[in-house]
Amino acid sequence: MRNSRVAYPLTWRVMDMLENVCARIWPASLHRLLPYLMLLPAVVLVGLLVLGLFQIGDASLRVLDTSTFLFSEDYSLENYRQAITSGFFAVVASRSLMGSVIVTVITLLFALPYAYLMVRTQSSGLRKFLLVALFLPFFIGQVVRAYGWLIILGNQGMVNEALGLVGVPPVRLLYNYPAVLFGLIQYMLPFAVLMLAPALTAIPEELESAAGSLGANWVRTFRHIVLPLARPGLVGAGLVVMTLSLTDFAIPAILGGGSQDFIANAIYDQFFRTSNQGLGAALSLMLVAVGSIMVGVVFAVFGAGTLAMTGGRK
Amino acid sequence: MSDQKLLSMPVSRRSVLGTIAAAGAATVFSPLGATRVFAQEPEKPSEIIVRAWGGSWVDSLKAGVSDSFTKMTGIAVRHDLTEDNEIQPKVWAAVAQKRVPPIHVNWDTTTNATKSALRGVTEDLSDLPNLKNTTDLAKPVGLDGYPIVNTYGYVYVLAYRPSAFPDGPPTSWKDLLDPKLKGRIALYNDGIGFHFPAQVAGGGKLEDIPGNMQPAWDFIAKIKEQQPLLGEDPDFTTWFQKGEIDAACTISTNAREAKKNGIELAWVVPEEGAKFDTDGLWIPKGLPENELYWAKQYINHALDKEAQQVWLDGLGLPGVVPGLTPPADLANDPSYPTTEEAFKHLIRISSKVQVENESVWFAKFKEIMQG
Repeated sequence: MRNSRVAYPLTWRVMDMLENVCARIWPASLHRLLPYLMLLPAVVLVGLLVLGLFQIGDASLRVLDTSTFLFSEDYSLENYRQAITSGFFAVVASRSLMGSVIVTVITLLFALPYAYLMVRTQSSGLRKFLLVALFLPFFIGQVVRAYGWLIILGNQGMVNEALGLVGVPPVRLLYNYPAVLFGLIQYMLPFAVLMLAPALTAIPEELESAAGSLGANWVRTFRHIVLPLARPGLVGAGLVVMTLSLTDFAIPAILGGGSQDFIANAIYDQFFRTSNQGLGAALSLMLVAVGSIMVGVVFAVFGAGTLAMTGGRK
Repeated sequence: MSDQKLLSMPVSRRSVLGTIAAAGAATVFSPLGATRVFAQEPEKPSEIIVRAWGGSWVDSLKAGVSDSFTKMTGIAVRHDLTEDNEIQPKVWAAVAQKRVPPIHVNWDTTTNATKSALRGVTEDLSDLPNLKNTTDLAKPVGLDGYPIVNTYGYVYVLAYRPSAFPDGPPTSWKDLLDPKLKGRIALYNDGIGFHFPAQVAGGGKLEDIPGNMQPAWDFIAKIKEQQPLLGEDPDFTTWFQKGEIDAACTISTNAREAKKNGIELAWVVPEEGAKFDTDGLWIPKGLPENELYWAKQYINHALDKEAQQVWLDGLGLPGVVPGLTPPADLANDPSYPTTEEAFKHLIRISSKVQVENESVWFAKFKEIMQG
């Protein structure tokens, strides 16, 4: 009796019991449906968001009556007309779109060599340093980081103090478009590096060695081997950076000095400042549409990159 | 006399600044009297939630109103520091869905509160006993009854750094156009507080608001050339402190608070005038009866002379109860108007006109500044 207990311990019996329970709940005949079951939470989550989107769609078609601060019962496209014809929204939209493109290009330019060095270096110390340098700001919230830049770049900040030491009067480094772009690039860099690193890791080092042995210098190797093979990572990182930049709120609000609003800031104003949720909803849906079109164009031109669904290994 | 009866007593419009009769009435409804009537009141909630602004604002409210209310009733007061414009949609949604609202009392700008009143989500407060002792300032302009009770007024002054004006204080809003101030001035990011003086500075008339505000837009366009910073209350203090700006259109309380914190700062009401506005307290619909009762008692207590004195000493703002003593540093200060003469230099536009046109003004201001 004692031996049999040792041979078949209690934990195994518990596992058997659990397995029996699971078999009753989810019989073997349903095993092929297991992947779909695992997909269910994500589908529910996205479904809820889609439901919210329908509600936003409904609100976008209702006009605010400022004598009662109630929304119209009837549907109309007035909010969309206002959003399209307003000079202010046009300025903000073009600023956001241009900003997201500039931030994406510069971030990828910075992220690629960083990620390449991080995955290729033979020095574990350097790799650790690069990882820590990457993750440290990642753990600090966007707002805190933006305020950090206020301290560094302000009129009495570290940079201006350093300039003062060589006789340069204080320079306004903050509260302009370049300051917003700078803040966004710094914020986006870890995202881009993290998305590029797996793509670069997947490139066999032997290919680069082979190119070198055939006489290619590092520039040619980088151009003809690394860049083409890193394209899925570049596309994935580019998409993430572009969409996050396009919809960012905090950095333009804090580093823009109130005069460099992006679309998200304009949406916030409509929802919370003028109480015009209808116009805010219309702007939100237009932002979703513009972001989706941009992603669609990138997919069409460059492919889906690491976000591709086909996934088959060739 | 039960307080229930008191609450249902008819309330007549009050005359202007304090009278002896009002002072006598204030004594009747003093905290001592209130303690006596509270003995027969509905069940007390364990706490009431009052939305407030943070920093020195909530500190003043706590010191002047909330702490003494708790002492008097035993009901704790929790301050919810959600921004006023962010709590608004939550309250509106709760009322629309017939849920209990997330707060009992909303400390709000009168303009913002007027939107809620127009939407019909505010409780009527015209039966508050202490309203008898208040000045006309307590009554929201352009609304029927008391969906909001204004509790004090404030002025959007021209705050400036004296060292940046060696020839003396600025006298006009046009002084902000001085080239030496390029990139050194600040306004609220929605232009609030600046539209009306800009109308005058731009050569227009206040009577033309809202019909013709082109003079205001023209003047704001000139100000835009000065590359102003645009922000919210806390930004002004930070910007003055960090040497980013030399002048700003801001509420006098912020300027006074910054000065208290050691920042070199002074303020004026320029010759074109300065916007005068009010903040108030209101109660959202949908509270259980007993909680509504105690929320009303809270607002009633906020109109008590003693509570007003402590609360508004902290804010440095003129209250709505006659006979309050201005803080020593604000005696005869134009940002603390107490006489009719002082009010002549201030610009007050009905909240209803403001809320009906706010989004248009806001968009126009943004269009100019963001262009």
